Amino acid sequence: MSAAQLLQGNEACVKGALAAGCSFYGGYPITPSSEIAEQMVRLLPKHGGVFIQMEDEIASLASVIGASLAGSKAMTATSGPGFSLMQEHIGYATMTEVPCVIVNVMRGGPSTGLPTSPSQGDVMQARWGTHGDHPAIVLAPASVGEVFDLTVKAFNLAERFRTPVILLYDEVIGHTRESVVLPESVDVIDRTQPTVEPADFWPKDAAPAGVPPMPAFGDGYRFHVTGLIHDHRGFPTTDGDIAEALITRLHDKIEENLDEVTDVETFMMDDAELAIFAYGIVGRSAHEAVLRAREAGIKAGLVRPLTIWPFPAAEVAAAARQVDTMIVAEMNLGQLIGEVERVAAGETKIVSYLRVDGEPITPTVLLDLCVSGGGGSS
Amino acid sequence: MSRNEIRIAGAGGQGVVTAGRILAEAAILSGSHATHSQVYGPQSRGGASRSDIVIATEPIAFPLADSIDLLFILSSDAFAKYEPELGPNGHLLVDTRCAPESLNGSATQYPVVDTARAVSGGQLVTGVVALGVLQAHTQCVEAEALRQAVAARVPVQHTKMNLEALSAGMGLVGGESS
Amino acid sequence: MSDVKTYLREWAMPHVLCPGCAHGIVLRSFLESVDQLQLDRDKVAMVAGIGCSSRLIGYVDFCTLHGTHGRAPAFATGLKLARPELNVVVVTGDGDALAIGGNHLIHAARRNIDMTVLMLNNAIYGMTGGQAAPTTPEGAVASTTPRGNTEPNFDACKLLIGAGASHVARVLAVNPLEMTKIMADAMTHPGFSFIEVISDCPEYFGRYNKVGGGAEMLSWMAVRDEGITIPLASKKFVKTLPPSTPLPGMQTGVLHREIRPVYSGVRGGQ
Repeated sequence: MSAAQLLQGNEACVKGALAAGCSFYGGYPITPSSEIAEQMVRLLPKHGGVFIQMEDEIASLASVIGASLAGSKAMTATSGPGFSLMQEHIGYATMTEVPCVIVNVMRGGPSTGLPTSPSQGDVMQARWGTHGDHPAIVLAPASVGEVFDLTVKAFNLAERFRTPVILLYDEVIGHTRESVVLPESVDVIDRTQPTVEPADFWPKDAAPAGVPPMPAFGDGYRFHVTGLIHDHRGFPTTDGDIAEALITRLHDKIEENLDEVTDVETFMMDDAELAIFAYGIVGRSAHEAVLRAREAGIKAGLVRPLTIWPFPAAEVAAAARQVDTMIVAEMNLGQLIGEVERVAAGETKIVSYLRVDGEPITPTVLLDLCVSGGGGSS
Repeated sequence: MSRNEIRIAGAGGQGVVTAGRILAEAAILSGSHATHSQVYGPQSRGGASRSDIVIATEPIAFPLADSIDLLFILSSDAFAKYEPELGPNGHLLVDTRCAPESLNGSATQYPVVDTARAVSGGQLVTGVVALGVLQAHTQCVEAEALRQAVAARVPVQHTKMNLEALSAGMGLVGGESS
Repeated sequence: MSDVKTYLREWAMPHVLCPGCAHGIVLRSFLESVDQLQLDRDKVAMVAGIGCSSRLIGYVDFCTLHGTHGRAPAFATGLKLARPELNVVVVTGDGDALAIGGNHLIHAARRNIDMTVLMLNNAIYGMTGGQAAPTTPEGAVASTTPRGNTEPNFDACKLLIGAGASHVARVLAVNPLEMTKIMADAMTHPGFSFIEVISDCPEYFGRYNKVGGGAEMLSWMAVRDEGITIPLASKKFVKTLPPSTPLPGMQTGVLHREIRPVYSGVRGGQ
């Protein structure tokens, strides 16, 4: 373990990316994510990587996908407006199964919105922003240390499943500095390589829920990559059976390995009668509120997903069965609460606290809700 | 479990953000947990500026200021903006120049801006003078840790001036901590 | 002439191009240039956008990236920066390159990234069914300009010279030998090369404007190419003029060449 240091979330993201083996960054400036690019341009060349500032966010993610096909671990970072522009290529990377990491440091929206204020308004865009049926892996860190950890995990999941992975956190997590102790080394996963000779290689040969091996352009395996529905040869087809098999496999390779993806922190849930469901910075407020509620004799607990997509349905349903009340707090007008209601309907009373004024949800308001919302107070 | 929330508020160009960052780094060097946050706006210079620092003996659950324990005000604009938000249990330190005559007796005044001007000829070290005052006034971080953190953060050609500013700030509080 | 068939993915045939489309001639000329240069085919990466011309890369035995509409230069930029030993060639159409992808094209040119862009200009959107493109000449009929195009059109080569491309050429699909020579020249040029290839679309442009099928369009192109004019992509489309009348058109051949620093991203010092 190294010594404690004071780091911004955006700085921790860069350190996590480098620890995971990132060697390419293509991006476009946007508040509140720009510190990631500004740190990357200084650090990446020292690690043998390449940095480029592209002409827009569409091009940024295109360059990242190109670099990944050339064998690099590659990433970009943006905020809401730029994330909207990236949706075309998030779908492309999903379909072509090109690993990449996209960081969205959320700010208030819609449109240019509140550029310097935190928000959790992109939760649904991260899940459904690109067109067509597609899986999504979205990680939501709540602290500077977790930004580091989940950036590493994002690269690992991208490589493991050959899919884009989105790291979603808000302006407060991105900009706040916290004391953190970073690990000396991390476990790193690399995409699997083909075991067959180039002459016998087809780029999309995979079992029904499998992940095909992925050589780089220039390695001697000559193959085709397309965003069109394609067969095992990577070549376009309009065959309906092949289309369904491909789209199903893209989902199943993740859905059938959720144990590698899903992560939910529970805090003081053993005897909880009331739970707060929160993620990102709101999860930190909720943690503090639970501590204060316990001091006041209220049996409160916290359910905090670190993986928000795929939605941790089983874990949230289990928590809902246990408590009388579940408070869902989000810095939006109700996005992930729809998922909570879907999996917990009838199991518990669901109470929402939603806020879109650009201010973070504080422990004080959540504590008040714990007191007034029922739970353990009597 | 102790949690101490400090807000330093002043004008753009006084080094308020850097001072907050240094204070958090000094807290870590002193063995505490710390967070630092600032307000971002579209302008790079001018306007009110603030740094919030949370220092705690235990890991910090909520990293932002929720109930300020100590507010240090370094400009009139910042006084107008942040003084009314201070709760009944919050302690106020204020630069002599921007303290209104009606200031209540519980606030403590220090000539921070004048001291910074005497040391540097300008306002850039105002935040560091304030750190010296804060340390001597509250002992929230160790003096040596603060010196180390200042030296590590400021540009090397300005180290001497900033350490002088820090000592001058400490000297404003009874003199025993410098 | 070499046996360019060895460069093809014959398993991927038949191809999607219409009878009379000149894109196949362009592909052959390109493969001849690769063969002349004796490029290692493992190190040739072709990147394309969306459209008829972009589909060409599916039939060649290199590493091929069929990307999104207009974004090929951006994909190619990441590919080249991450793997500088690759010979990166973008194949794009006039709508792909100049409308939806105009921004990416001019920035790749400005940076002078070491890649070659082949823009096959057929003056119309073929794959989507004959809509007007930024290259459709004034007066020409397309499915979205039924009474004749009233917008001015781009001179792609002037645009690219202005953007900073360090090698700019225009060739005609009717001149395969010149195409091969200029493509080989462009691929050996250090920096960003842009070749506008005047191709044809008999199915839409030819039919809508009643200028005949592929053979007629190519022969018309040949007659008009006396060094200066290309009617199908010239500033004003006047189908009533006799073929021997020179139109204020565009020059062919290498139009611009300079040597300037090639950009390869921010990378560590050696």
